[in-house]
Amino acid sequence: MIMSLVESFTTELRRGTLTLAVLSQLRVPQYGYSLVQRLEKAGVTIEQSTLYPLLRRLEKQKLLTSSWDTSESRPRKYYVMNEYGIELYEQLKTEWKTMTVELTTLLEGDEHHESD
Amino acid sequence: MNLIEAYAYEVTRRLPEKSRDDIALELHTIIEDMLPDDYTEKEVMEALSKLGDPAQLAASYRDTPKFLIGPKVYDAYMRTMKIIVPWVIFITILVYVVESIVLFSGEQSILSVMIKGLGMIIANIIQALIHTFFWVTLVFIAIERFGLAGNIDSKLGTIWTPEDLKQVNLIPKKKIISKGEVVFGFIWTAIWVGFYFNADRLAGIYRSTDGHDLQMIMPIFDQTVLLSYWPIILPFALLEIGLGIYKWKTKQWTMKLVTINAVIKVFSVVAFIVIASNPNLINEAVAPYMVTLLEISLSSVNNFMNWAVWTIVITIIVTVVIEVYETYRKAKVI
Repeated sequence: MIMSLVESFTTELRRGTLTLAVLSQLRVPQYGYSLVQRLEKAGVTIEQSTLYPLLRRLEKQKLLTSSWDTSESRPRKYYVMNEYGIELYEQLKTEWKTMTVELTTLLEGDEHHESD
Repeated sequence: MNLIEAYAYEVTRRLPEKSRDDIALELHTIIEDMLPDDYTEKEVMEALSKLGDPAQLAASYRDTPKFLIGPKVYDAYMRTMKIIVPWVIFITILVYVVESIVLFSGEQSILSVMIKGLGMIIANIIQALIHTFFWVTLVFIAIERFGLAGNIDSKLGTIWTPEDLKQVNLIPKKKIISKGEVVFGFIWTAIWVGFYFNADRLAGIYRSTDGHDLQMIMPIFDQTVLLSYWPIILPFALLEIGLGIYKWKTKQWTMKLVTINAVIKVFSVVAFIVIASNPNLINEAVAPYMVTLLEISLSSVNNFMNWAVWTIVITIIVTVVIEVYETYRKAKVI
């Protein structure tokens, strides 16, 4: 019971950070699977069925540019942040940093209370 | 290879046509990237199960809403329904009642007409409601799909601000005048007015002759005498309708409304007494007919009719007094 609640809250917490995590890897062009591997390496698990639609949505919102690379044996679709995407990413990053600082303060305050 | 093809097909067939090819191609490369160079069917299966249910994948690709009427317009949809539905019911009943009063020929007994009419009214209401639901829903689906406005909030087309709260009326439950009450009042008025102008065809002495259906033998009221009172009846009908509209707008019983209501009711009772006490109101052929039918004296028939009229008058007075007192009590609730 508690476990499934923890899971659902964690999913909720993570969902908001996914966009930021994906954008952070797209300063250089990446194709879908390479992105999955990079994120996994960093410990960020993301369902593939979440990632690919997310990439398309970000492209539709004009944050990413995509291009098909057909020079190799396997054609691959590469995604990369454009200028607008980079701008938005920087702003999001600032927001995130503020948020973590605020939350850390709150959480540490909590620990102090516990030790009192 | 076939499995990958099938998977891509299962996803893309659920998507808009224009994005199908691109997504299919992308899925192919994604799946192949997950596989080693010489892959077995088992490995394909593993990769595909990682991607999950094609229906779910398609759903996350799709960005148009999956619901017919989404949260943005749902409130407006429900409100529109609540406004329209009572009116549809009201107008359906009114049209049917007026139509059948006008078309009533007096050939059938009024009771069978009323029973048949009730069934017809219910059928008409159901039909009208189905139409209403269908068309209103269709309009709102269109609003949801094509977005009539960026923001359809609490009121159609406007964005909520705290200023709106100033217009909210907090009405105690006991003071509320329900819309149904008002609509019922309208129907009631319409029925009585319709009855008044058609009394000679509606109210009569019925008898079945030779085992046939009930047939009207003679009207109870003298229609010319009855109709001579129309300058009294019509203003009262209009006053009742006006009062109904006023009740609809104020939504609650106030002292002012109670007073107006009481005045109208008292005067209409007076008018009723005036009309009822006209000796020529009852068709003059009724009394002799009763005398021969029941084999009693003319004076006892007259007594009986007097008694009947005054019983009705007193009943009406009592009901009006009770109603005025009840509404007064409601208005006093704070």
